[in-house]
Amino acid sequence: MSWDDKLLKQAKKIIKLYPQKRSALGPLLHLAQSKDGYISDDSITVISELVGITEVQVKSVSTFYSMYKQEPTGKYLLSVCKSISCEINNSSEVINKVQEFTGLNNNETDEEELFTFEAVECIGACGGAPAVQVNYETVEGVTPENAINLCEWLKETKPDVVVADEMQENFGGIKSFDWAIQDNSGATSTAPGFQTLKTTEVKK
Amino acid sequence: MSEKVNLNVNGIEIESDPNKLLIEACEDSGIHIPRFCWHKRLDPVGMCRMCLVEVETPRGKMLVPSCTTEVSDEMVVDTESDVVKKAQEGVLEFLLINHPLDCPICDKAGECPLQDQTMAYGPGESRFVEEKRHFEKPINISEIILLDRERCILCARCTRFSDEISGDPLIEFIQRGNKTEVNTFPNEPFKSYFSGNTVQICPVGALTSTSYRFKARPWDLKSTRSTCNGCPTGCSIELNSSQNKMLRILGVDNDAVNQGWMCDKGRYNFEYLNSDSRLKTPLKMMDNKLVEIEIQDVYSELTEFIKDRQTKVNFLLGSNLTNEDYVAFREFSKTISQSESSFYLNDDLLYKGFFGDNIELAKIDDLNSSDAIVVWAEDLKEKLPVLYLRIRQAVKNGVKLIVFGHTNETLSDIADVFYGKDMVSENFEILKDLSKMKEINNLVVGKNITAILGKSTPYQADESITKLFEFLNSNANSKVLNAYSKGNTYGAFQTLENLKGLNDFVNDISKDNTDLLFIVGADPIGRSVYSNQIKSIIKSIDTVVTLDNFNHETSELSDYVVPISSTLGEKEGTFTNIEFRTSRIEKLVPSPGQTVSDWEFITSLMNFAGLKAEANSLEDLNRKAYENLDSSLSPVFDNLDKPSNLDGMINISKPKISTSENKLNKTMFFTGEKLYGDSATERHSDSISMLGSKKFIEVSESVVEKYNLTSGSCTLTQDELEVTVSYEVNNNFPNDLVYIPTNRRELNKFDFSREILIIPTQVKEALNVN
Amino acid sequence: MKETILLTKHMRDNPEDSHLIDSYEKNNGYSTAKKTILESSPEKILEEIKASNIRGRGGAGFPTGVKWGFLAEDEDRYLVINADESEPGTFKDRILLERDPHQLIEGIIITCFSANIKEAFIYIRGEYAKPARRVQQAVEQAYQKGYLGKNIFGSEINLDIVVHLGAGAYICGEETALLNSLEGRRGEPRLKPPYFPAVKGLYMKPTLVNNVETISSVPWIIENGGEEYNKLGVEGSTGTRIFSLSGHVNNPGNYEIEMGSSFGEFVETLGGGIRNNKKVKAYIPGGASAPWFRGDQLDIKMTIDDVANNNSMLGSGAVVMMDEDTNLVSAAKSIVSFFAHESCGQCTPCREGTTWLEMILDRIASGRGRTSDINLLLDVCDNISPGLSWPPKMTTICPLGPSAVSPITSLMNDFRDEVESLIPTKVLL
Ligand SMILES: Cc1cc2nc3c(=O)[nH]c(=O)nc-3n(C[C@H](O)[C@H](O)[C@H](O)COP(=O)(O)O)c2cc1C
Ligand code: SF4
Ligand code: SF4
Ligand code: SF4
Ligand code: FES
Ligand code: FES
Repeated sequence: MSWDDKLLKQAKKIIKLYPQKRSALGPLLHLAQSKDGYISDDSITVISELVGITEVQVKSVSTFYSMYKQEPTGKYLLSVCKSISCEINNSSEVINKVQEFTGLNNNETDEEELFTFEAVECIGACGGAPAVQVNYETVEGVTPENAINLCEWLKETKPDVVVADEMQENFGGIKSFDWAIQDNSGATSTAPGFQTLKTTEVKK
Repeated sequence: MSEKVNLNVNGIEIESDPNKLLIEACEDSGIHIPRFCWHKRLDPVGMCRMCLVEVETPRGKMLVPSCTTEVSDEMVVDTESDVVKKAQEGVLEFLLINHPLDCPICDKAGECPLQDQTMAYGPGESRFVEEKRHFEKPINISEIILLDRERCILCARCTRFSDEISGDPLIEFIQRGNKTEVNTFPNEPFKSYFSGNTVQICPVGALTSTSYRFKARPWDLKSTRSTCNGCPTGCSIELNSSQNKMLRILGVDNDAVNQGWMCDKGRYNFEYLNSDSRLKTPLKMMDNKLVEIEIQDVYSELTEFIKDRQTKVNFLLGSNLTNEDYVAFREFSKTISQSESSFYLNDDLLYKGFFGDNIELAKIDDLNSSDAIVVWAEDLKEKLPVLYLRIRQAVKNGVKLIVFGHTNETLSDIADVFYGKDMVSENFEILKDLSKMKEINNLVVGKNITAILGKSTPYQADESITKLFEFLNSNANSKVLNAYSKGNTYGAFQTLENLKGLNDFVNDISKDNTDLLFIVGADPIGRSVYSNQIKSIIKSIDTVVTLDNFNHETSELSDYVVPISSTLGEKEGTFTNIEFRTSRIEKLVPSPGQTVSDWEFITSLMNFAGLKAEANSLEDLNRKAYENLDSSLSPVFDNLDKPSNLDGMINISKPKISTSENKLNKTMFFTGEKLYGDSATERHSDSISMLGSKKFIEVSESVVEKYNLTSGSCTLTQDELEVTVSYEVNNNFPNDLVYIPTNRRELNKFDFSREILIIPTQVKEALNVN
Repeated sequence: MKETILLTKHMRDNPEDSHLIDSYEKNNGYSTAKKTILESSPEKILEEIKASNIRGRGGAGFPTGVKWGFLAEDEDRYLVINADESEPGTFKDRILLERDPHQLIEGIIITCFSANIKEAFIYIRGEYAKPARRVQQAVEQAYQKGYLGKNIFGSEINLDIVVHLGAGAYICGEETALLNSLEGRRGEPRLKPPYFPAVKGLYMKPTLVNNVETISSVPWIIENGGEEYNKLGVEGSTGTRIFSLSGHVNNPGNYEIEMGSSFGEFVETLGGGIRNNKKVKAYIPGGASAPWFRGDQLDIKMTIDDVANNNSMLGSGAVVMMDEDTNLVSAAKSIVSFFAHESCGQCTPCREGTTWLEMILDRIASGRGRTSDINLLLDVCDNISPGLSWPPKMTTICPLGPSAVSPITSLMNDFRDEVESLIPTKVLL
């Protein structure tokens, strides 16, 4: 088994949350994503043993969902929305700029494994179109120029914790709603930052 | 349940059982609704949308899939309206936009539902001008199955089969939406004993068998229905040939038996029929060599032995004979010898079984109607594969399953209770008081149960299993399915009296009581645990006549070898399965060279010797086989050929088995058989020959520690014999136990009553260097 | 026109800390749940919900009281909160999760009490990481206070909540797909019949599936009475509803209003009008699945029934305004490719048809269209949704496939010129 004891312990804790083991499959795949930056065959084998189904069954589930990446991702997963509200608010220009800056096509990762770029469907920030996520932390009202600034900032400061509120303050614009108090929690990998997964930290 | 519902389909009133699916109810009334994903034996998924029909509802006519809609009384249905036709055309067009134009090189062409339905319901020409979806052309998803994802229409039949029916979900949908494909996990091939079924039910040519690839076109296939004699399940099958060569075997949906399924060994172990190594001429041992002679010479030379009726003759018979063959030998034995001849079945595991007067025998269908199934036998997935599927089905329908024995692990996954090593000792004895087990009291006592009982290994004492039987018989309402696992064993039971097994053979037979020994369709030296003893007995006997399809270790020690036709497709007769259901074995291809049927050989010999045979034809023998039975119920050809009896006729005559209990001294080793082995037929069936070639043992964890095994392989030695095997750890085994599959040659040659040394490979290598 | 503030009251009054339990309790939070558990009965709660006439806020608009009443008897029953909000244009559940998670939890407690449920799941789309963190934090706080777990509020009642993250699949918003997903399977919708969640839901047990906004409304309804709630809005669309307004408007955002005013009024007042004083060319009244209305149809009333009578749906409450400069073919293409990307792939017409539609639209949008493409588009649509009528007939298992048809029929009915103008009239050889 290629998962260390700590991760296995966490996995078992997650499994216990559910009436049936298999329900933990989704969260365990998020764990695998946070560990390797994608769903490796090794992790699939570990998970298949943990929940008692075959490897191809795990693979079948993992490839159904777009957040479980099948190829390694960079440190930052840049997701730019292309759905309707963003599309009519110039998201294609944001996409162009980010692609230019990173030199990446859709679903590609650069050689330094810093950025993975993807154009995605609606991320629930349509009032703040065009919207972007970095490691599933949302920034709203991102102009093409600010999209580049955001990428540059990531490249230069390489933050280990990606925080929505921080990025919004520096690179965002119009928002879907008032975010109210500053929240410094964020994501630490290309899996969503979430307590149960231990993929979130508060940035000091 | 008996109340029927009435519905109106296309203006016609039809009747149906309630709870039926519309597609089935229509089918039963002769109204065909096109479909791809629906399959009678699989749970409906309603995915392909080809079976849409219009049903009237309070809110007007609605398009519904007939494969997921249950009938209801006074339902009004239109399966041919314009809306329905448009929808079907639409679905076909959608399916075709990504389907390659492969028909000219596709195995399925000519019997392809997609091709047929496109002709019947399809749109004219394609309006799709874009690039089709591309995948790498056929990929091997196992040693015997190929997958062409471009042809796949994503009906989920294969994935459902492997999940719901066979329980080894190794193929699955990968990706989603328009990118969905069927595939296996890297390095985890579709290694299933039942994978061939997916090829059979795939509605297009996406799944194909290596054995059939590019071999034939459906329109020049000849076919006949028959029965598989691979094991006592007796699956109903269809044989397909082209240009007098057997090319394919398909499962036939016999509701009471195999429900359309087969195991892969039954399905693919036929290529040997066309093998160049088949025995085609009679042989005689001269100067320690088998040389060809004329069949007439065999007859005349054997006549010398038998004509004075003084010769002491005995028979060792395999389990691949037809009932008529068995009868022919029975008749022969009555005629030729004054002393009683004995019949020995080529079976290490023959024991008395449970057939007494107070015992009710079970049918396969009883599995579904029991409260619980209790199993203690050989591993059923290995030995009675489709019976194993029927157990799975019963469990899926809510029947409880209690499994005994650390060797029955393939059922342990689905068992409600698995009594492994805590309950069954390394000596195959039940360790605990059954009446005190909570699960037994809950699930078995006072319940309707079907007990599947048989010995797991020759090293198991009869007594241990009798103990279980007696408990069940007195504490539950039980029926028994005796689980002998070889071919037409039950046909032998029905036709031969006082049958004995190989343990009796080695105790009884010597040159003193046997002048002439017939060995028919059996290679005990190559397979039995009594190999060494049998070998010396055979060597000592004056005249040994072997009848078989191939030369093997036993035939090579014989005085005469007679080439015979195979029971698979080369001759006619009857077969009796585990529930005493007798059905037809049919002939489809000519038998090669000078091969003859067993019964032909033996009747010809009698006639040649002037011992007028009473039964001279197959029909005579067939009639003689069942002469004790009430004629209208007896499975004679005339009755079996009635359309209502195509699935076979059950006729139980309880067998008289006069085997005595073997008293084998068990060491840490015990033997059994896996589905695949390296018997002569398997070795000569190219597409499956590698599946049973690996030599391996299974060991408990403690054995690994004790012998310091590390490299995955080791060497077994005893006297001069040395065999290198790989080992697999089996956690279900009690400590210090080693399992050896004896249907892998050489592995049966050890004397298991004495010590066998296990030497780790690295030690062995060091020894060899010195 | 003004908002009517019920669900968004606490978050507005307490922007600093509305997501924390202390703040919530200071403002009377959990008092309704406590009273319910200690003093009320399941039947009474159900009666109030029925009296409120609230209809589900997830899109289908099914009367919530009726749904609760359908729940089959069983020892194990589950509540699943649908927080998969992924319909393009919709971001109303996000604010409820992020800014007032305790209101949702209180709603869950009351709902579970009424339906005798001991375990609830909140299924949040994976991309809602921050909202999920807020909900998880709130759940933990509620456990600490003894409002969740064993013997809640000191009663005999136990209740557990698990916050479950999805992983990027719009189709998991469909309730049966959501249940499959929660069981660790592919998010493929189940067949209805036989798998109605109220009878055979999660683990084949009776299950209530309700939207975040629906359940967040429960505390107010119980506190103030179903009758009070029923007085708000109009018949058939009672209470308030949070609309997500986006597109070319000056003030996009979430607005809690009583249903009944017109879209035009809504956009002009709360929405601050169209940017740069442009005209509306078309708008989407209820999420990407809904057929569009033209700019001259702004007087349609924002009620479930009025919108339905005009052959569209109020759906998820997402209103997207498209101004006169919008390239509607690109807009339609964006929506169609959304559905093609999100199709689970089970049904042939949806799996193959949506992708094909996307390809044809792509061809037209990039000037490579053929004259025959217009009829082809319509006919492919017809093979997914026969008759192209509203509400849609379907050849598919779930409504996702037919949803992809909506923007195309809208285009073809009302803006055909725009499509035709993109097709080169002469075929160049
Ligand atoms: C394709 C599709 C997507 C859906 N997405 C959502 C969703 O994101 N959120 C939601 O609450 N309901 C969604 N629904 C509706 C749910 O199936 C279900 O009706 C709803 O969750 C019930 O809750 P309610 O009665 O409280 O509205 C969707 C339905 C379909 C067909
Ligand atoms: S491979 Fe054949 S059986 Fe399997 S999904 Fe594809 S078409 Fe169906
Ligand atoms: S289960 Fe037995 S009878 Fe059936 S196909 Fe396999 S070997 Fe033949
Ligand atoms: S309509 Fe589309 S999303 Fe819905 S079940 Fe069918 S294929 Fe899946
Ligand atoms: S459309 Fe871009 S966030 Fe919703
Ligand atoms: S046969 Fe009914 S949907 Fe496929």
